[in-house]
Amino acid sequence: MGKIVTVTSGKGGVGKSTTAANVGIGLAQAGKRVVAVDFDIGLRNLDMILGLENRIVYDSIDVMEGRCNLSQALINDKRAKNLYFLPASQTKDKTALKKEKVRELLETLKKDFDYVIIDSPAGIESGFENSIFLADQALIVATPDVSSVRDADRVIGIIDAKSEKAKDGKEVEKYIVINRLKPEMVESGEMMGIEDILNILALPLIGVIPEDQKILTATNLGEPIVLDKNSLAGEAFRRLTKRLLGEKVEFLELKSHKGFMKFLKGLFS
Amino acid sequence: MSLLDKIFGRKKKSAEAAKDRLKIMLAHERVNNLPYIEDLKKDIIEVVKKYAEVNDIKIKSEKNQNIDFLEVEILLNPRS
Repeated sequence: MGKIVTVTSGKGGVGKSTTAANVGIGLAQAGKRVVAVDFDIGLRNLDMILGLENRIVYDSIDVMEGRCNLSQALINDKRAKNLYFLPASQTKDKTALKKEKVRELLETLKKDFDYVIIDSPAGIESGFENSIFLADQALIVATPDVSSVRDADRVIGIIDAKSEKAKDGKEVEKYIVINRLKPEMVESGEMMGIEDILNILALPLIGVIPEDQKILTATNLGEPIVLDKNSLAGEAFRRLTKRLLGEKVEFLELKSHKGFMKFLKGLFS
Repeated sequence: MSLLDKIFGRKKKSAEAAKDRLKIMLAHERVNNLPYIEDLKKDIIEVVKKYAEVNDIKIKSEKNQNIDFLEVEILLNPRS
């Protein structure tokens, strides 16, 4: 039986789909059979981040409503052979998902794959519930700003209330992913650091992704950053993936290059 | 804050402010988001009603890293 990993955040635009895409590819490259499922019905994005948007014929709603087989809707990624992608419907809205149909789909996927990565929609309405209620693990993505951390806290507070695992007395494993960290701003005291965020959210950290312009390039091209061997953010995602697989991996040392003036100032502070 | 900042009276850094504001905000929000508070209120009223008339009941809760507590204030009807 595979594991269901839900990538969520509360606030939109913090990098959920980017995280889901990179973790999906990372796990597939590690030899796991992975399916990435976009649950953001009506506002799908994982297709473009993965660069698979031109290959979509059917979507998850078509599968759930019996218009096609699961295998017809699954798209195989040519760069990472072990990765499959199940797109969301772009024409329907969030209410199109029915909980029992979602359960049926996810239980089938769990039998066929080692990992089911769910890209959850922003917000905490029904779409969120559908993406979390069967999760074994949750990755909560937050950027170092007040609104993102606040919304992450809210989401963490309701994961267990929505989870079936929690109802059975088990716990959803929850991990924090800090995205878009700017080391130079943390050093100058203008951005909350890793410790600050973990102190507030009180959950284990699984990844820190530095701000990296290459991520925009990667999204523009539909080639997730984890495929780029020379990028720092790509390396951060590779390490995150290893931790998800249970390996103990050091966190990247993220430091700005200090100038001479800064060094001088450092002596006095 | 560093010594230089103190000497020159510079303002505290914005990351510090973010942290402080979040802590205060979340302390409030976590309290209001307790899922069981309404049910708890009803149950307490039921129990107290066996002995006295209840006028009102207020539940406050505080939560931070080290300690969680509920403060329950029960107003009794003075004639009972």
